[in-house]
Amino acid sequence: MSSSPNALCFGYELPASGAPCLVRFGGQGLTVTFVSESPVGWSEEVPFTALSVSVGGLDHDQLVLKWTGDRGERALYLKDADLIRSFRRSAPESLHAPFEQAAERARLVRRRRRMVWGVVAGAILVLSAGLWRGGDLLVALAVERIPPEWEQKLGESAYRDFLARQDIVKEGPAVSAVQEMTRRLVEQIPNNPYKFEVTVVKSDVVNAFALPGGYIVVFTGLMKKATAAEEVAGVLSHELNHVLQRHGLERIVKRLGLVAAASIVFGDQQGLAGLMKQFGVELMTLKFGREQETEADLTGLQLLYRAKIDPSGMISFFERLSEKDEGRMEWLSTHPMSQGRAERLKAELAAMPKLSPVPFTFEWAAVRESLGVPLPAEP
Amino acid sequence: MRSEILYPGAFPMVRVELAAGEQIKAESGAMVGASPTIDVESKMEGGFLGALSRKLLTGEKFFFQTLRASRGPGEVLLAPTVPGEIVVLELDGVNEYMVQKDGFLAGADTVSIESKMQSFTRGLMGGEGFFILKIGGKGTLILNSFGAIHRIDLKPDQEYIVDNSHMVAWSATTSYNIERASSGWVASFTSGEGFVCRFRGPGVVYIQSRNPGGFGAWIRQFIPVSE
Repeated sequence: MSSSPNALCFGYELPASGAPCLVRFGGQGLTVTFVSESPVGWSEEVPFTALSVSVGGLDHDQLVLKWTGDRGERALYLKDADLIRSFRRSAPESLHAPFEQAAERARLVRRRRRMVWGVVAGAILVLSAGLWRGGDLLVALAVERIPPEWEQKLGESAYRDFLARQDIVKEGPAVSAVQEMTRRLVEQIPNNPYKFEVTVVKSDVVNAFALPGGYIVVFTGLMKKATAAEEVAGVLSHELNHVLQRHGLERIVKRLGLVAAASIVFGDQQGLAGLMKQFGVELMTLKFGREQETEADLTGLQLLYRAKIDPSGMISFFERLSEKDEGRMEWLSTHPMSQGRAERLKAELAAMPKLSPVPFTFEWAAVRESLGVPLPAEP
Repeated sequence: MRSEILYPGAFPMVRVELAAGEQIKAESGAMVGASPTIDVESKMEGGFLGALSRKLLTGEKFFFQTLRASRGPGEVLLAPTVPGEIVVLELDGVNEYMVQKDGFLAGADTVSIESKMQSFTRGLMGGEGFFILKIGGKGTLILNSFGAIHRIDLKPDQEYIVDNSHMVAWSATTSYNIERASSGWVASFTSGEGFVCRFRGPGVVYIQSRNPGGFGAWIRQFIPVSE
């Protein structure tokens, strides 16, 4: 039989760290043989009737057998699973109940620990989810606190900066057409806090964008691409609604982070300009999120409807834009298109009562001709 | 292996003599000097995942270094990073020690080291974090402390109270509960103790005479703040 120790024995005259010993169970009791305490090989026989059973150790995972012998109180700490099984096999009936109690206690401690960790992990999950949603809420609160005048100042500086480097179409059929569309749309906005300004920029880029505060740029490339005025009006309505829903501000505040959002909510809004410089956020490169696009689509559709402009132009234009095409379709890169978007708008439109559109006062073909698109040949 | 503590006190060093072919593991960066017969290898104790969990969970080093007397017998000098005592324990195969993460300096190759998750309360308030090292097996174990090391012997059911940031290592046969130092919450913190650990024997508890966190807070006030 091996003589390597399998348990620790504690007692008055034994070392505090425990005396390594070899424990064997027999029919009547156990034998403890000390391995390193002098005299080495000293044995003690303990009858089962003298033993009390409990659990101990840091994790309550050790079986503790205690008895009072000739040399005072003794405690034996067993953690070897085979040894514990051997004890269970040889222990008499009278020790089974205390043993089961001890085992139950050890299991209880383990279960409780697992449960506490489970609860903690759950709490962390809930908390982070809450922060995620709470972050959105904080952004919304921060955006709400920024006054439109200040938003206008922010947008205006970016707008002037941008236009200074562009070839602007100052007058002509294209400008008056866009102005008419804008007027008809803006008239339908209740309590409009913004003074919308639309500029037509000469460029082949198929694009249009809105800056916070109501500054909208339409490229002639987009107008040339459109086969009907309603299509351009659809894009305009979509852009107007980005402004009205303050999507640009939302993106900025989100980019600046929660700390900035919190400082806007609880402190002064003027600091945002400084913060923006600090974080190098460029208004022009801001992209809208998928949810914001959907929102601008739907509110844009409703605005067109109220302005009595045929919304199907918007939908068909979106569809055409999403098809593979040549040219610089930058509107798509800032307004990612998907089949689902057009489908959704179609469904929305179908649910609305039939509209009798009021036509524009200009001829779209003439507008396009002024931009250099030849008149379509009469069939 | 044979070990000897040189310069006992605040700045000790331990000399370990290795027979040919023998090897020990040590905290990475612990080697100060060695005979030319010694090879230094780094080893991820417990495999990659084990090492990763030890690194992430206990904050212990990812690698242990293995010092092997591959070209004949030789000696190795080892020292901890912080000023403080070194203690050498002989593990007999049944004794196991729980060691807080900075306490391990070196051990025989036959000594086993694993990280172990503590209960939530102990992890949160115990001052050693949620994970500690459980060191068992057979052979020499070398621990280091911040400040002097003090050994407390506990008989069965004997209790002792230790400030939670002064613990270095304790036998697995002891158990402890975290409690407030005073009966009132305010008094617990104004007394400067906060939480304490009530240890219950049998077993041995090694404590350190200085509190690393307290020392850090003290020294911070002397560090010039750069603009």
